[in-house]
Order: sequence, then C-alpha cells, then structure tokens
Amino acid sequence: MTLAIVTGAGQGLGRAVALELVARGCIVAGLARSESDLAATSKLCATAGAFHPIACDVSDYDALRGAFDAIRRIGPIAILINNAAVYPRRDFLDETPESFMHTMAINLGGMVACSRLALEDMVSRGTGRIVNVTSFADLAPIPASGAYSVSKGAGRIFTRALVADLEGRFPDIVISDWIPGALRTAMGLPDGIHPADAARWGAELALSSDPSLNGTLWERNNEVLEPQSLKRRVFNRLMLRPAPTPRMLCAA
Amino acid sequence: MTPGELTEKHWDVIVIGTGIGGGTIGRRLAERGLSVLFVEKGRAGHRAEQNHMASDEITDPVARLVRGSWPETIHARIEGGEHRVHPAIGAAVGGSSVFYAATLERPEPHDLDHSAERPHPTNGWPVSFSAMLPYFDAAQALFEVRGQPDPLATHPTPNLTAGPAMCEGDARLMEGMRRSGLHPYQLHSAMRGLDGCGSCLGRKCPRPCKLDGRSAGVEPALATGRAAIADRCEVTELRGDDIRVTRVVARRDGETLEFTASHVVLAAGALSSPRILLASRSDWAEGCGNARGQVGRYLMFHLNEMFALWPRRKEGYPQAAKSIGFRDLYHAEGHRFGMVQAMGLDAGEGEILSYLRGKIARSPLRRLPGASQMARIPAKVAARVLGQAKVFVGLLEDMPYAENRVSADPNRPGGILIDYRFSPELHQRRKLFRKLIRASLGRQRVLFLTYQPELNFGHPCGSLRMGTDPAKSVVNAECRVHGMRNLWVADASFMPTSMGVNPSLTIAANALRVGDAILKAAGTSDLEQRAMSLVS
Repeated sequence: MTLAIVTGAGQGLGRAVALELVARGCIVAGLARSESDLAATSKLCATAGAFHPIACDVSDYDALRGAFDAIRRIGPIAILINNAAVYPRRDFLDETPESFMHTMAINLGGMVACSRLALEDMVSRGTGRIVNVTSFADLAPIPASGAYSVSKGAGRIFTRALVADLEGRFPDIVISDWIPGALRTAMGLPDGIHPADAARWGAELALSSDPSLNGTLWERNNEVLEPQSLKRRVFNRLMLRPAPTPRMLCAA
Repeated sequence: MTPGELTEKHWDVIVIGTGIGGGTIGRRLAERGLSVLFVEKGRAGHRAEQNHMASDEITDPVARLVRGSWPETIHARIEGGEHRVHPAIGAAVGGSSVFYAATLERPEPHDLDHSAERPHPTNGWPVSFSAMLPYFDAAQALFEVRGQPDPLATHPTPNLTAGPAMCEGDARLMEGMRRSGLHPYQLHSAMRGLDGCGSCLGRKCPRPCKLDGRSAGVEPALATGRAAIADRCEVTELRGDDIRVTRVVARRDGETLEFTASHVVLAAGALSSPRILLASRSDWAEGCGNARGQVGRYLMFHLNEMFALWPRRKEGYPQAAKSIGFRDLYHAEGHRFGMVQAMGLDAGEGEILSYLRGKIARSPLRRLPGASQMARIPAKVAARVLGQAKVFVGLLEDMPYAENRVSADPNRPGGILIDYRFSPELHQRRKLFRKLIRASLGRQRVLFLTYQPELNFGHPCGSLRMGTDPAKSVVNAECRVHGMRNLWVADASFMPTSMGVNPSLTIAANALRVGDAILKAAGTSDLEQRAMSLVS
C-alpha cells in the first residue's frame, strides 16, 4: 500500500490528482477546507475506502498536526503533493498586511507545514516523495496577483532549500517542483488544460521516485533544465560531451 | 532522560566521545553491568541518513555538524606554512567511524614489540603484541570482521570469517599481483554485507550492516538499558583534585552542564582528548595530566601514498576495486613502511588531470598561461587509451616526535591547532616506499597520484602517549593517566607509534583492554566501600 497525501483535494487539480492516484492503486488522504467538496471527491472515487477525506485548513498549523496524526494511523506517509493554494485577485492597495500574509500562510505556509510533518515519517524510513505544485507567476508578476506570485515563487525557492538540506543525507527522499500549466479550473483559464490530463502527469511524477528526480523542475510533462552558462556550453562542446536532454513523462 | 536528569545521576563511567574507542568501551562496560553515560559533541542524527562527510563546499558550521562532520576548520602549521583545512573527522554519534571504510586490519608484532631484527622506535609498547592478541581476537569477533587471512601473517586469526565472493575483476587483479610475487588478500572488513548492501565506504550506513562506533558500540550499549547519551554536549573541562576527576563540564546550547561519575574515559579522538586535558586548568595549573608538559605531543598521522593501478589490457572492469590489500612491503629492507590497500575508487580523467597539473606546477610550464587548462586534453586521451584505473594507497607509518603536537588554538575557543614537521627520515622512507611499490608491481602500469607528502588527517594518533616513564608519556600501560586514579584513555591518543595499518581494530581492541582494567578498578573500589561499611 502506498499512502499519498494530496492537499487541496476538494476541487480542481487536487481532486483530479487524488482520483488519478487512487486509480493507480494508492490510498489517498485528501485535505481540503470544505467537507462537502471532499465528499464530492469521495463520491467520484472508483475504489471504495481508498480515499480518506480530512477536513483541514492548511494555514491552521495546529489543525494540520492533528490531521497528520490521523493520517499516520492509516499508515506511513509515502507521498505528499503540496497542491493547496488560493489565488485572490487583489491590487496591492486593496491588500492589508494581514490579507497578503494570509495568502502566504496558505500557499507557502501550507507547503512548509505539510512538508515538515510528512518528513517525520519519511526521515524515519529514509524514503519518501514530495511534489510541490508551483508556478512561474513570480518571473513577471501580472497586476492584481502580488501575494499569489510571491508565494508561488517562494514555493520554488522552498523546494531548492529543502533539497539543499536533505539531498545528501536522504537520497531516497525525492523532492521536486511541478508546474502543471494553466488549467481549466476555477482558479485557472476557461481554455486551459483539462485537470484530468494534468493529473496523469502529476500522478506519474509523484509515483516516480528515482533519486535523479531530486531537485528537478517539471512544467506540464517536461523536465525544465537549469540554463547553462555560455562557458559551460562551449566547454562541453570542446570535451565532446553531449548537451543534457530534458526528460519527459510518458503519459501524454 | 533529559540533559538535566543526566546531570543528576551519578554514573559508574562517563565516556567522552562515541567513536570506535568510546563506543566499544561504553558497550563493554554497560554489558558488564556498569552504568555508562556517553557525552558527545555531535548530534544523534537520524538513522536513515546516508551522507558522506561534508565536503569543503559546506562551510557553515551548523550545516557541517548536522552532517556529522567536524564543524570548524583546523589550523595546521605544517613545515611552518599556515593551513586551514576541514579535517576528515566526524562529530556525531559514532564519531568518524560512521564514515569509515570499515577496514579493520590487525597490526604486526613488530608494530608493538622491540626485537633485534626489527628494532622499535620506542623500544616497544608497554603492552606486547601477545598481550594484545586476545583483544584483537575479541575485537574481530565484536565487529564481525570478514576477509581472507593475510598469507604473510605470523599469528592465526581465529575470529576472522570468510568475506563475500570477490568480483571477477578484483580476482584477476589479485592474480596479476601474485604473478608479480606479491601476497594479496581480501581486506578485513567490518560489514555484514546484508542483502542490498550499499558498501557504505565514506558514508553513513542507514542499515544494521556496517559495524562502527555507533552500530557496534553505542547502540548495543543503549540496548542494555544501563547506558544513556548526552548528545550535542561539548566537554569544556574536567574538574577534580590531585588524584581524581570528579566532574565533567560541558556546554549544550549555550548552557553549562556538569556530569559526575566514578570513572571518566577520554575517547574524543587524538585531536580532541588532549585539548580537553589542556583546557582543564581550573584545578590543574598546566592542565589535567600535563604537569610534565607531555599532553598533545608525539602526534602522528599516516602518510597516504596514493597510486593508480591499471589492470592489464582487456582485463579492465567496471566495479571499483575495494577489497584487495597486501603486506609484502610492510617491513622491508630494514625499514617500517605499511600496508598497501585498495581505496574503493576508480581513477579516470579527473585523477590523471590532477596528476598532470601537479607535474606542470613543478615545471617551467607553470609560467605558460592556460597550461593547466590545456592539461585536460592529454588527460582525456590518456583516460580513453588506458581505461579506468583502480586507486590504491600505501599507508606509510609516521614516527613520534615531541615537537609534532596538537594544542588548543589560542585564537578560537574550541579550535584545533596542529604543529607538524616532516622529519628527514620520513622523506627518505617515503621515497624508498614509493620506489618499492613501483618495483613490486612489476610490469603493471602504476601512476602515483600524490607528489608532496600527504597527511592522513583521518588517522591522527599518539597525542596522549602510553608509556612507563611519566616524564615522556601521559598514560600508563593500562591507559590510566599518570597519577590519576579514575581517568582513562580509550581512543587513538594512546598509541606510542602509528603502525602500518588502519588504526580502528587496534583502537577497538585497546578499548576492550582498558574496559577490563576499569572493571577491575571498579570492582576493587566496590570491595573497599563494602569493607568500609562493614567496619562502620
């Protein structure tokens, strides 16, 4: 049995990823604020008993501790998909310090808190998989998206910081970023990718635990490589080294 | 127990340091019924960790300590030149041994004993090889050492069990050595080789497979229920009187803690145990046990003579040789050298490149801009033509000199300061050793990877020398500090000479021997106490 946690499993991408993981044989603990949303996800589940709805706000860290205690009673946590996020459209002049930091507390704080709690299990077993759902919103923030952009950019930094701390010590705890792209969800765009399609990539990524995936960044189903300096590229060419090629997830 | 509770209990024994010496003696004493407190500077960490010792790239002391590595650089004055290096020393439960290659080799009788044919530089250790032999046997059993008996050994090794099947490439390499007249054997290794063994050379083993100060020392000690560990505690000084240590003072998270015990064992390593004694000045003007100024002196390291050995044409193989050693040059032409062993590394382009760069740095070419970069091309060609070589190391014995020493760095609290000079005889012996290595391998292709003498900072020893004369040593034949009734040494500091093999087995064997001496002393004082209570 592989136990996976999916945050934000009541709607959109999180629901789709949870269903996909169940379809692939996992037991899924789904976190979301709304019990009725979770009940709807449960109803869509093909396998009875494979989805455990857990109503919890990821920005309430004490509640989260209780939720993880409940999840540990199901079994050891093998996979964590940090998907829960909010995207309030708000001009910065309409933000208060509290409203801005509340978005941070969900998008970044939830990711940090869930990772810290899931790592308790992963560190004691020496194995685990964390996929952080992030975005490139930080590269060129669009208007009325300040808190979201900051939190999502910070999410990618958080992934790299986690890898810096853990990679050498726990090579079998594999952590990566996944940017699913613009989705046809309440948070996304009407002409975006169907969440069920994106979920196949996400589930495949979460179920791939080769240590070489540690610290990698994926956009949709493609690996995004670190850009190489000109000097490095010239050097590789001179040394007849092949240019690195990005990997692809099988599921199209 | 919380650190507070650990300070309230009066322990039978406090063991400072949890490496191969501390772990082994703590286990022996706990298993024989004594209460044991381990005091460790590093952290307990997580059992699933499998990191290497932190590289030079990790400079932050907190990050280094989290990785079980010595947090600060050491200040080494070598031949008068100033160096600041991160030593290959652990700071974790298990000490350096959690990173070691688990090569537990027994020394030769001449390492300890004086004879007319093989005169000993100190006229022999105060404890003879034959007196140590039962402890070597016991340590081999305790650490479940596996491998082939050395064909040249003079004494049997009854507790050595057969090692795992060697890979075909290693077997062929050994055959080649035999054709050259050498006597190779499978190295003596303290690995259980469980299914899926990752042969954790140089890194922490996440499973109960590699036997080290943690898995074969601290963990079994804790399992008795009579031992406890105070981790993240750096011992700052010992307190006591003319004949006894009464308290061990340590710092934990900026707080001062004091532990008490009937006996105290120093096992913080040869670079740290002397510094603890030197820092103990509240009750001893010159430092504890240092009235004669001997603490920290006679520091030795092995010299690493690394070389690449290419298998014969068409006999190359992908696995890194890690299990071959030979002792044909251990003592040769009237000189003490040491054993030669595989390092578990392949030599490729990078090693050849660093060799060529060394050569360029010593030639007029060094003034040619870009020469160092240009060396990449022949290195690449050589690696293509010659294929992967196997890296071997000749461990060269170092001799004790009073001027070579470790002390507390006056500029940094807790810092290590090393003063070291290469003696002329060491230079000569080294030259001869390299010549003999090359000659002994006959027509096999050999390339030395080091030019300058290279100190093996992972093998420090000798800095609390064992001897019968208190004017020239720190501990007596049973490793009790001269003049002190309850202060003992169980790490590599005691070694009067550095031997020609890896020190681990000798440290473990000696720790068992010191453990017996402590049990005897503790038994006597028990009797004294009982007699006193009967009288009163």
